Order: sequence, then C-alpha cells, then structure tokens
Amino acid sequence: MTRQICLLSFLLVLAIISCKEKTTKTDAKTETEEELVQRALGIHKRVLTVDTHADTPLRMIEPGFDMAERHDPNETGSKVDYPRMKEGDLDAIFFAAFVAQDIRDNDGNSRAKALCLQMIDSVVASTERNSDVVGLALNPDDAYNLEKEGKRAIYIGIENGYPIGTDLANVEEYFNRGVRYITLVHSSNNDLADSATDDNGTEHDGISEFGSKVVGEMNRLGIMVDVSHGNDSVFYDAIKISKAPIIASHSNARTVTDHKRNMTDEMLKLMAENGGVVQLTMLADYLRTAPPNAERDSAMAALRSNMKPIGEMTKEERSALRQSFQELNKKYPNPPATVTHVADHIDHIVKIAGINHVGIGCDFDGGGGIEGVFDASEVMNITIELVRRGYTEEQIAKIWGGNLIRVFKEVQAVAEQLQSEEAS
Amino acid sequence: MMALRALFFYISVLMLSTSATAHPLRLSLCEIEYSQKKQLLSINLKLFLTDVNEALVFDPYSKELAFCKPNESTKANQMLMDYVNQFFYVKANGKILDLKIKRKRLSGEGENTALWVYFELRQAAPLTSIEIKNAVFTDLFFDQNNIVYVHVNGKSKSMMLNKKTPVHKLKF
Repeated sequence: MTRQICLLSFLLVLAIISCKEKTTKTDAKTETEEELVQRALGIHKRVLTVDTHADTPLRMIEPGFDMAERHDPNETGSKVDYPRMKEGDLDAIFFAAFVAQDIRDNDGNSRAKALCLQMIDSVVASTERNSDVVGLALNPDDAYNLEKEGKRAIYIGIENGYPIGTDLANVEEYFNRGVRYITLVHSSNNDLADSATDDNGTEHDGISEFGSKVVGEMNRLGIMVDVSHGNDSVFYDAIKISKAPIIASHSNARTVTDHKRNMTDEMLKLMAENGGVVQLTMLADYLRTAPPNAERDSAMAALRSNMKPIGEMTKEERSALRQSFQELNKKYPNPPATVTHVADHIDHIVKIAGINHVGIGCDFDGGGGIEGVFDASEVMNITIELVRRGYTEEQIAKIWGGNLIRVFKEVQAVAEQLQSEEAS
Repeated sequence: MMALRALFFYISVLMLSTSATAHPLRLSLCEIEYSQKKQLLSINLKLFLTDVNEALVFDPYSKELAFCKPNESTKANQMLMDYVNQFFYVKANGKILDLKIKRKRLSGEGENTALWVYFELRQAAPLTSIEIKNAVFTDLFFDQNNIVYVHVNGKSKSMMLNKKTPVHKLKF
C-alpha cells in the first residue's frame, strides 16, 4: 500500500514536472523575437544596472565637454554622457580617475596626485551641476536610493595607484573625496604592484611591501581592492592580503580569450572562494582573438607597392593616398567583437566561479565599446543576449549589479569591524 | 527609445555600419613643464610608434624610418617634425614656439612601443599664458584622444584635446 502511494505520488510529481516543462517549452517556442526583446527590456528596467568602469573623467577634462549633452559616439568617440545613460537604462556607474604612469619620484608623485584630484573634482562638479539627473554615490545603497528618485548614481574610482605615491595618508584623502575602489596598477609597474603589461616584467613579484600597506588601509577605510591590470601574482597576493573580498573592475576570462589581462580558471575559482567579483569588460581584444584580415592586408600591400616615394609626394597626393587607405579599412573591416562574445565570457565565468561572481565593467571612454554595446545607450543588448541564453531575472540582477553591491557591502562591513577593533 | 534601439540591433545586426565596430583607445600623451627658476620650458610627446609610422609612411609596422635605431633614416626627424608641426603647437605668452627635437627614445615593445620626443626651450620671461594645439593622429582616427599635462611653477593641470577640441589656452 505504502509502495503504491509512493509510486502514485512519484507519477503525480512527474506529471506536474513534465506538464510544467512542456508549458515552459511551449512558451519559449511561441515567444517571438520581439516578445523576447520586450521581456528582456522589462528585466533590464527592473534590475539595478551598475557599470564598474568608465574612463569618462578623461572626457570631463576636455575643454567644453558637457555631460548633460548627448554626444554622437561615431563623431566624437565619446561613450558616456547622462542622456545616454538614461537611454540605456544604466542606473549606476563608477567613473575612474586615471593618471598615466610616469616618473616615480617625489615630483612625479605629487603631480600625479594633483592631476588625480583635478579629475575627482571634475566628477564631483559634474554631479553638482546635474543634480536633477544624477547624484554622487558613496555607499552601496545610494545606487538603489538614487534609482528610486529617478537619478543615475555616480561613484568614483581611481585607476592606477600611482597618485598614492609613497604616502599612505593619501588613501584616506581619496576616500574622503569619494573614492570607493582603487585599481592598484595600470599598464606599467608602480610602487604598489606589478602590471600585467609592463615590458620590463615583474618588479615586486606581485604586490610590494608598500602596496600591502595600501591594501590594508583600503580595507580599513572601506575601499574596494581592484586587481584589473595587475599581473597574476598581484591577484594571488591581493587574495592573500586583503581582509575583504576583492574585485576585478574590468577583466574577462582567459580560457575564452587568451590575454594577459584576463583571468585564468584557477583565478576565477579563487575569486569565488574569496567572495569577490569579476566585472566583464567590452574591450574587443579581451573578448575575442581578432582573426586575420588577409583581404585587407593584401589590398593595402598592393597599394603600398604602387606608392611614389613618400618624400616626392605633394600634400594633395598624400591626402588622396590617406583617403585610399581609409577606404580599404572601411571595405575590409575587422570582424567585430559582439555581445555574443560577452555572453560567452559570462557563461564561462558562471560555469567556473558561479553566478555570484560576475558583473559588468564596460571600460567606456577607455577603449571599451563593441558592436551592439558601442556606448552607454546600448547596454540593454547585454541583457537581451542573457535572456536569450536562458538567464533568469534573478540571475541577471546579480550580474548587472547585485554581485558588485554585495561585495561593496562586505567591504564596508570589514572596514567597520577593523575600525571598531582599532578603537577598542 | 530603448526598445527601438534594441530591436534595431537584433533585427539588423548584419546591416550595422562599419563605424559601429570596436575601436581600441587611441591615445597620445604630452607633458609640458615650465620652471621660472630654471627659465626652462620642456615638452615631452609620447606617441605610439605604430601611429607615427601610419601617419608618416602609411604603414604602422614599417621599419623604413627606424626611429632611435642605429640605422635611423636621415629623413626621419624632418618627416616627423613636418607632421607634428601640422597638428601640434605650443604658444608661450602668445608666441608659437619653434620646436627642435632635443632627443628621442623608444619604450615598450610590439604594439605598445612608444616614441618619446623631447623638446627644450629657454623661456626667460615669466609665463603668463600657454596655448596648446594637439590634434596629432586626428587625421587618422576620428576618436583619437590626446592627453596634455601642464606643470607650471609647481602647479599641475590636465586636459584632453581631440578632433573636436584641438586647442586650449591656460592663463597664469
């Protein structure tokens, strides 16, 4: 009797499951492309969307550039302004103050600090001038609160720890100015850490002794430690040294695209154990290996072989030749990176690290921007591709901001803990 | 608007113009320094070598001019300055500076190789204004960005110049 009841219950459950699956499959089959897009846009509107990396402060130091105006990216190269954030329904963004690596002496360090502060001031001034549409955000919940007010949240980061120089007190000064993450290093080694792309190779074997102190100070204050641009040892050191989860504000998966700036599967697994998050970036070279463009190359070689010696060309002839080369570039463009490459990386990171450890950091105005996600107004296309691949609203909410906000909250909780220990 | 943009993308993905393809960040760096005490004005241009070769000889990977190599072409400096003078100038107190290369060097490897071009000028009169034009490589790339750092008597200022905004003046 018991066995019969069990069997009946099992069959009933099976029937319900198969019925549910059938319904889902039928729904999926009957959903048109337009319905899918509409469903995705609904999700995109409901979830908090956070982009953790844009070099837009570089635009803000362009004389006359106005964040309140809409710019054409194909004419100006600009990828972010407030109208386009609204069009793309991008709720929050981290504007990174970037100072190019230069001489590492007292003069160089103090100049870097001055330039960094100028950029931070530009961001703050921009939020004040446009307080009807954006707000300066300092804490994780500010993004949600500003979204409720119908405003975009503007967070501040620093890309390259160079402006810290050798003075630990600068970390607190930047925190007080609103900085909530610091990318330890950029394209060359600095006093904090080694870069993934410095041609001189490793200098500190990861994070330097001073860099370790900087990480400790960031933990104490509640600034997220960003390992993007660091070499692999920087990542492993940061995992060991940091008392709070870390982030990679704009990095991808190396198994999908073999690039030094991307993260290996081992790193992705460790990132998951650490509780941190990898924010996927829209840089074409990190998303796919560009295939050879033989047709264009041979057409250009043919054009070059028929060229007059450069020194004998008139100005007009040079202009005409330039035009011919540009036409060849248009005729034979490199196959672009697309949103499908983005989703391939997300799929892989989810497979290796899990859904709780991936996010988005487009690197707009820093080289980021691909076909379909060319600027801030097009970021909804990421959501559409994720919906197409079967991600649920809950998963998309994690990818688009939930994961990053979780890490940000944990970083702040660690800071509170460290400060209370310090006080007692 | 958002729905229209997204639908447009998915329906006509193959019809998108080439201008919507990916672009790497096109960047150059210029550092200008003035010290009243030393009465010296220095200008340091950091240009990607591939961009320089593309601009001068229409081939980013050309070895013809061989900048900073033992076999550097005798016409390399002249060709470089003919180009630079078309797209770059510095005016000190309203007067255009006559730029002569003091030294050059290469840094980095492969695609990241940079050509540094250094100029040095005596500037005895106190600097009251400086005007910079930096539109290098805007003839090649519509999205070229040229970052300029200005350090005058211990104070620093940065700006970004490009095709749309190639010139800016600072007063002291």
